[in-house]
Amino acid sequence: MDFFNLQPDEWQALTLTLRVAAAALLVTLPLAILVAYILARYRFPGHGFVNALVHLPLVLPPVVTGYVLLLTFGRKGPVGVFLDNLFGISFAFNWTGAALAASVMSFPLIVRPIRLSFEAVDPKLEDAARSLGAHRFVGFLTVTLPLALPGILGGAILGFAKAMGEFGATITFVSNIPGETRTLALALYTATQTPSGDLAAFRLTLIAVVVAFAALIASELLARRLQTRLGGGNA
Amino acid sequence: MFPRLFLVIGFLLATLTQPLAGSSLTVFAAASMREAMERIGQVYEVETGNSVIFSFAGTGILARQVEAGAPADLFISADDAWMNYVIERDAVVPGTVRLIASNELVLIGAKGTERLDLSETRITGALDGGRMAIADTETVPAGRYGKAALESLGLWKAVSARLAPMENVRIALASVARGDTPLGLVYRTDAAIEPEVAVVAELPAESYPEIRYLAALTEGRPDPAAEAFLDFLSGQEAREILQSLGFVTDKVE
Repeated sequence: MDFFNLQPDEWQALTLTLRVAAAALLVTLPLAILVAYILARYRFPGHGFVNALVHLPLVLPPVVTGYVLLLTFGRKGPVGVFLDNLFGISFAFNWTGAALAASVMSFPLIVRPIRLSFEAVDPKLEDAARSLGAHRFVGFLTVTLPLALPGILGGAILGFAKAMGEFGATITFVSNIPGETRTLALALYTATQTPSGDLAAFRLTLIAVVVAFAALIASELLARRLQTRLGGGNA
Repeated sequence: MFPRLFLVIGFLLATLTQPLAGSSLTVFAAASMREAMERIGQVYEVETGNSVIFSFAGTGILARQVEAGAPADLFISADDAWMNYVIERDAVVPGTVRLIASNELVLIGAKGTERLDLSETRITGALDGGRMAIADTETVPAGRYGKAALESLGLWKAVSARLAPMENVRIALASVARGDTPLGLVYRTDAAIEPEVAVVAELPAESYPEIRYLAALTEGRPDPAAEAFLDFLSGQEAREILQSLGFVTDKVE
């Protein structure tokens, strides 16, 4: 059954996509938890501005986000030059650039559900932990964070999904380099533009659907286990 | 209950069925033709009073859209392969295909880059760890011509891993102009309109297939205005505009 054997370039696109999405989530999740907690618990001047800034990539056309990334993190962009000179890190035309684009695009989707679940946790529980002698951070880790886990899981799933399917910002920022930045979405796009690329496009579509299904089922199982633990085992 | 709301929704639904472009002529043209087509369109509008609307993109994107029945009256391809593709799928009228211009490939760098000879060492030296911007080498005509040239010059092995393939040739041009890529492979006409880039080498004409811009009427949209514009495209005035932008027109039919 030749049809069911993945071609090398299909494997490449698939593993690259998973790598980009995983890297994006690893970097984004801790930051998203921090930002969500700050937005949920503290009122400060500029609160609305930070909130708007976080949501900006959700509202802007992805191409705009990609273009802004290109201008700031590109080879001649201020941040790009700075990082390159100081640490030798370059995002331009690199898979790490694809991960950066995916991070920025998925950030608001991760922050939002986490913030909502933080807001639903009674701050008095944290106060109680502190009055019992727990350090502020320990109180957060042992009380608030576990109670907010469903939101964190939800945000992580949304963010991972967004990162896997990201297209506009990625192609604008790091172009479409086979094996480096050509994720599933970009490979599919390329196939649809190739004369006689219909079969390749169809195969890539199938791969995307299978991956999406697997991810959704896995996240559903995870959510159920979490529910059981939080509910004290009676769910 | 909400009469005003229903009115608004009804109005929005009504506008959905109206094509925004109205009755003017719609031309789908290869991205590298942008300036030339816009100028020709302006002259045509002044002379005939008919307006022309253009949609520019990589030829492959446009060919797919034409195949899917996009409301284009004319399709201008930057190569034979995509024109054949739409002919095979009965999306354009085969008898109306005609050559309107030719072009050439050049290697460009940022303004002030010194000229190169097309040797492996000189090119990898100029890239200096960076990438060469090029239109996608599988799907976009400029990239396919570029790949053919690099192959026949014996450079493909050295350069293919250092390419940055873009959606169309104009994005590759902009990438070099911005300094994101030290070198780029584009049409001579592209290099001519961007002051921030300089031609560092001409690719020998025999190293790639002849670059042909082909125009044709799309199938199923009989429109005398479209035919008139197709004639205008190969007429004297259009030819002069194309030449002034660096296109070659001596083989125009």
